[in-house]
Amino acid sequence: MRRLGFCFWLAVGWLAMMALVATFAPLLPIADPTEVAFGGPREAPSADAWFGTDALGRDVFSRTVHGARISLAVGGFAIVFGMVVGGGLGILAGYFRGRLDQGVGFVFFVLLSFPALVLAILITATLERSLLVVSLTIGILAVAPVGLLSRASTLVFAEREFVAAARVLGATHGRIIVRELLPNVVIPMGALTLLGMAVAVVAEGSLAFLGLSVAGDNAISWGKMIVDGSGLRDLQNAAHVTMFPVAVMFATVLSLNFAGDRIRQHFDVKELAF
Amino acid sequence: MARFVLRRVALLLAVLFAVTFLGFAAMNLLGDPLVNVVGVLAELDCDAIEAGTAEDTTVDAASRDCDTVAAARAEYHLDRAVPVRYGLWLGDMATGDFGTSFQNDQPVSQVIREKLPETVILLVMAQAVALGLAVPWGVLAAYRANRAFDRGSTVASFGLLSVPNFALGVVLLYLLALRWQIFPSAYESDSVSGLLFSMVLPALTLGLPLAASYQRLLRTDLITTLQEDYVHMARAKGLPPMRIMFRHALRPSLFSVVTVFGVSTGTLIGGSLVVEQIFGIPGIGREIVTAVIRDDFPVVLAIVMVVAVTFVVLNFLVDLLYSWLDPRVRAR
Repeated sequence: MRRLGFCFWLAVGWLAMMALVATFAPLLPIADPTEVAFGGPREAPSADAWFGTDALGRDVFSRTVHGARISLAVGGFAIVFGMVVGGGLGILAGYFRGRLDQGVGFVFFVLLSFPALVLAILITATLERSLLVVSLTIGILAVAPVGLLSRASTLVFAEREFVAAARVLGATHGRIIVRELLPNVVIPMGALTLLGMAVAVVAEGSLAFLGLSVAGDNAISWGKMIVDGSGLRDLQNAAHVTMFPVAVMFATVLSLNFAGDRIRQHFDVKELAF
Repeated sequence: MARFVLRRVALLLAVLFAVTFLGFAAMNLLGDPLVNVVGVLAELDCDAIEAGTAEDTTVDAASRDCDTVAAARAEYHLDRAVPVRYGLWLGDMATGDFGTSFQNDQPVSQVIREKLPETVILLVMAQAVALGLAVPWGVLAAYRANRAFDRGSTVASFGLLSVPNFALGVVLLYLLALRWQIFPSAYESDSVSGLLFSMVLPALTLGLPLAASYQRLLRTDLITTLQEDYVHMARAKGLPPMRIMFRHALRPSLFSVVTVFGVSTGTLIGGSLVVEQIFGIPGIGREIVTAVIRDDFPVVLAIVMVVAVTFVVLNFLVDLLYSWLDPRVRAR
């Protein structure tokens, strides 16, 4: 058993803390993130406002904490959606081969033919930008990479003896897929969840930065906070408004990548081709 | 080779067909196409206005708007059945007629022609930055693999790959343009040199993470190549290490970088949307974001199509180039 190392647990600790804080943000004894003039405009960090205040005098610390909610919710939902839809399609394609495989392969190929962010814009352009739509959009982006991987690994396992044995014993296709293939394909893919989530969190951040993520004043997101504070005058006079969310987001994505990469090495899984 | 190329061309055509159909579907099936094209004007009851039965006092303005609606219907063939409409629209796109932006009455093709060069300059510079940094970086890391420099560069590239590019852009803007004032903070177009100079920071924002990922690939491939017999042979002949590196080992180690070149351009295009926003570069990335926010769907659709088709064709070319470099690929 290889050891995962101190840094791995540090990363996991950070992620666990973010998840807890995001879940219980409304219950925490922190300022209301939408309260205008909680302090003066663009105040430097102090004991009252740990991360300072933004141009409207809102508490940056509280906003950063609340910002984790959308980022993590969208990231988590998107990767689960990608795993279920992409993983499922990949297994079916890899197991049944033939026409189905060609069709599914073509769909994956077309999805990958758009630069990811451009496809996301095409989808969100015409729809209301609710939490569900944004999550689904980023989930769709995850379908093809996850699907290609699950197809490839199904192809390998479908050739193995235990699958042939099950078939000889008269197992139905459904049983073979669920009882023989699914555990072998999904568990290694599960090791890639964190890596995929890192990509999804960045994608949501990019959309938010462009003003195309979840709409509404109460929808606080790291990407939106960073763009709000990145005007030249804001950066010049009150860099903390942007740099704190940047730092927290970087720490989160780095932790996801690092922990994810360690888990991947631990289970010896091939890399995801995002 | 000929059969391989033919198969690839067939796939290319099928993908182009599917990609354009997806774009078309987004406009025509997600929501009412007329609303997508002209926005609120679509709600006008034009039949009533023409018949003079509308209770509106500003009939003049209303009938002008109705002309716009009628023009939009004609432009996008909205009276026809959906499959026919797709064919006609595809024909328009293929002949360079991307429709009209109903928000400012400009032909979309003109908008794209004006904005595209800035984005292309940015992408080329970003790739140049990435390759220019990655080659020496990868060579140095592989030269003394697993020593201090290599370890450090592994950590650095891992970090770089974890910074979202909008965050990197804002941090670079803050440090290099505002704090230390080395580079200009905004886009300049007065002179060619000024333009290129103002593009350095945006290109760095896009190029640095890409350099990190190129470096990883190049390092791994170089380490493998350096185990080859002919490299030992060159070493035994007493050739200087850097000459072996650049003349003997580098070229056969560039395959992985060539493979991801096409895909990475897609990542760069996505990144340029964000970076153009930060540095105020008037390219198609900025244009598409503005267009989405203004609900100017013809512009959004046209830009998405131009970008997606370019990306598909580019990947097709990279694929051909790669199979020409390495004949084993053709057997796939």
